[in-house]
Amino acid sequence: MSSSPKSSHKNHRSHFPLQKSLFQQNAAFPHSSPVHTTSNKTANSSYGKPISASNNFAGDFNHPCPHLLELRSKLGPNPFRNLQDCLEVRPLGRVSVRRELGQEVVQCGACKASSPRLFACVACAAVSCQLHATSHAAQADDNTGCSSPSSFHAIAVDVDRVELFCCVCKDQVYDSGFDAAVVLAQTAASSAIGSIHCPPPPVPAENLRKRRRVEYKPWTPDPNERALIVEKSSPLPSRPSQLGEADAELPWGLRGLNNLGNTCFMNSVLQALLHTPPLRNYFLSDKHNRYFCQQRNNVISTRSHDSNNHSNKNAARLCLACDLDAMFSAVFSGDRTPYSPAKFLYSWWQHASNLASYEQQDAHEFFISMLDGIHEKLQKDKRKPQIQTGSGDCCIAHRVFSGILRSDVMCTACGFTSTTYDPCIDISLDLETNVGGPAKLTSAKSNHSCNGVPDSKNACQSTGVSTLMGCLDRFTRPERLGSDQKFYCQQCQVRQESLKQMSIRKLPLVSCFHIKRFEHSHIKKMSKKVDRFLQFPFSLDMSPYLSSSILRSRFGNRIFPFDGDESDSPNELSSEFELFAVITHSGKLDAGHYVTYLRLSNQWYKCDDAWITQVNDNIVRAAQGYMIFYVQKMLYYKASERQVAL
Amino acid sequence: MRSSVKRPPTPDAEEEEQDREPTLQEIINIKLIESGEKERLKELLRERLVECGWKDEMKALCRAFARKRGRNNVTVDDLVHVITPKGRGSIHS
Repeated sequence: MSSSPKSSHKNHRSHFPLQKSLFQQNAAFPHSSPVHTTSNKTANSSYGKPISASNNFAGDFNHPCPHLLELRSKLGPNPFRNLQDCLEVRPLGRVSVRRELGQEVVQCGACKASSPRLFACVACAAVSCQLHATSHAAQADDNTGCSSPSSFHAIAVDVDRVELFCCVCKDQVYDSGFDAAVVLAQTAASSAIGSIHCPPPPVPAENLRKRRRVEYKPWTPDPNERALIVEKSSPLPSRPSQLGEADAELPWGLRGLNNLGNTCFMNSVLQALLHTPPLRNYFLSDKHNRYFCQQRNNVISTRSHDSNNHSNKNAARLCLACDLDAMFSAVFSGDRTPYSPAKFLYSWWQHASNLASYEQQDAHEFFISMLDGIHEKLQKDKRKPQIQTGSGDCCIAHRVFSGILRSDVMCTACGFTSTTYDPCIDISLDLETNVGGPAKLTSAKSNHSCNGVPDSKNACQSTGVSTLMGCLDRFTRPERLGSDQKFYCQQCQVRQESLKQMSIRKLPLVSCFHIKRFEHSHIKKMSKKVDRFLQFPFSLDMSPYLSSSILRSRFGNRIFPFDGDESDSPNELSSEFELFAVITHSGKLDAGHYVTYLRLSNQWYKCDDAWITQVNDNIVRAAQGYMIFYVQKMLYYKASERQVAL
Repeated sequence: MRSSVKRPPTPDAEEEEQDREPTLQEIINIKLIESGEKERLKELLRERLVECGWKDEMKALCRAFARKRGRNNVTVDDLVHVITPKGRGSIHS
């Protein structure tokens, strides 16, 4: 056969119909043609660590297999710059080695097998199946002192997935430079510009200030401050003993709430909020002082020039935050007799007049309405331009509960992705409906701490129990929008079928999960309640549901080398959550009862309106969760440029 | 240019196999690939497997296996061998 490079690919005939430029010109890995490869032996080796000789296997990212290391040492700088020309990127992150028209069928050179996995040798483009890959590497090996990468046949590329494989170690290997080049090609394909040098989609900068963290410094009062504390405050009774010794062991802030007429929906939410750590701390630290607030409101109302004077007067006197402040003071006073939140109820009725009645209501609806009431009032007070709720700086309600959701809509035809960010106060999750498919429907997403009992996860899988993590899985899974919901793709300029995927861009301090326990049947034209049991963990790691994790998984088995815009390391540090409150519902859709379980000092208490009892773990685990509250395990101090007085 | 590429020795059997007529199965496979339909079918299959939870199950099996064996003592091959019977078995027609 002739030795000219262009025709040398004929040696491989139709069995190796890969696009020649991938390997023939060695454009993919070594540097381009004119320069001879022997020059640069000193690798841009990013590994830096010695290989552990005892490791027989291909190793992990930190200890790559010796063959990959050897290949990298033979390659020059920036060896992957032409790799993108050899790749074919299809929508939804699928990438494969590009084949020329008419030569799409690829087979093993030795046995003509075309499945399951085919590997193309990096040096000579010979395609082998897994069985024959090793023999190819062995027989073709010519490493008697020659440093040319074209004579080093140990490493191959999976033709369908563009993943590296070491034929000698017989295992998948990873290289960050290689993966970086592949991911670049994938992201370029999904952006409007389509240029190879396009960076990942930018985050709307106004929403997310760079979060600088400060070191935690413990504080104790100095003598002056100590004197001030003694002078200006009155100590709470050390151990309230009106009801005897047993009562003395109960934690602070545990107090029943009287039912004022079907108000269990309100009581249950209030109990959860009274013990939401950041919220509790805020009010007990006097950050919203109801006396000052009322004083200020009186000043505002007398000074008001608003045309609608009447409503302004009402608004001035109405402050849900003040009523909440009063409630915190009452509940944490040490008094154990049940408290009647009548003033709060009255204020809330004024705020949400459409819901003002003695009928039974939905707790979640109340929760949203109440937070909205707190936000509205505090926003009005500030008389500043509207601050993005996503940043949580507008009011304490958002500071505690507001997170940011990311929604990606991907065109199935061209891969173009449109991304939007929306603030959210809670996450509403669908309960899985058992379709009755052959495979079991539940999934335990990860081996992160889950109840601390790993076996329970496996048990759940095999018996088909719904879990909270399963619901979150489904929430972040790519969902194909129906053909009646075609999305307008900017790149294709027509409506196309698309995939939508949700993920969490920013976690709130407190995550509230609302389980959608109602099913609407179009046939019967009515809704009914779904009583199916949902298992929820006491400790929850949210990192698999973060945008960074979701994006990472979209690109396949890659070492994700970018920081990009998604690597928000504070996010990853603070993705561990602890359960502290569960609101449960029993009964039917239109008539039922709410009860809240609170976790204080690792002890569980059942709060049923005015009756509070200590209960066992198991009672809570078996309860029917409707709203489940988790708080971040570790709270970080944020550096602020100015004094923020909320 | 790479005039010094050392290519693997051409297997002799190749000559025979090329003369043989491709089977119907092979023809269908080639047609499917060339038209791009095979890729669409694969994509559809992937979606269905994800929807019914099969993929998550396999992932969990792999994790459990990797945890048992030790993270650095597992190859892709091992994983494939472990989950193939379970994966095939859990799919009914």
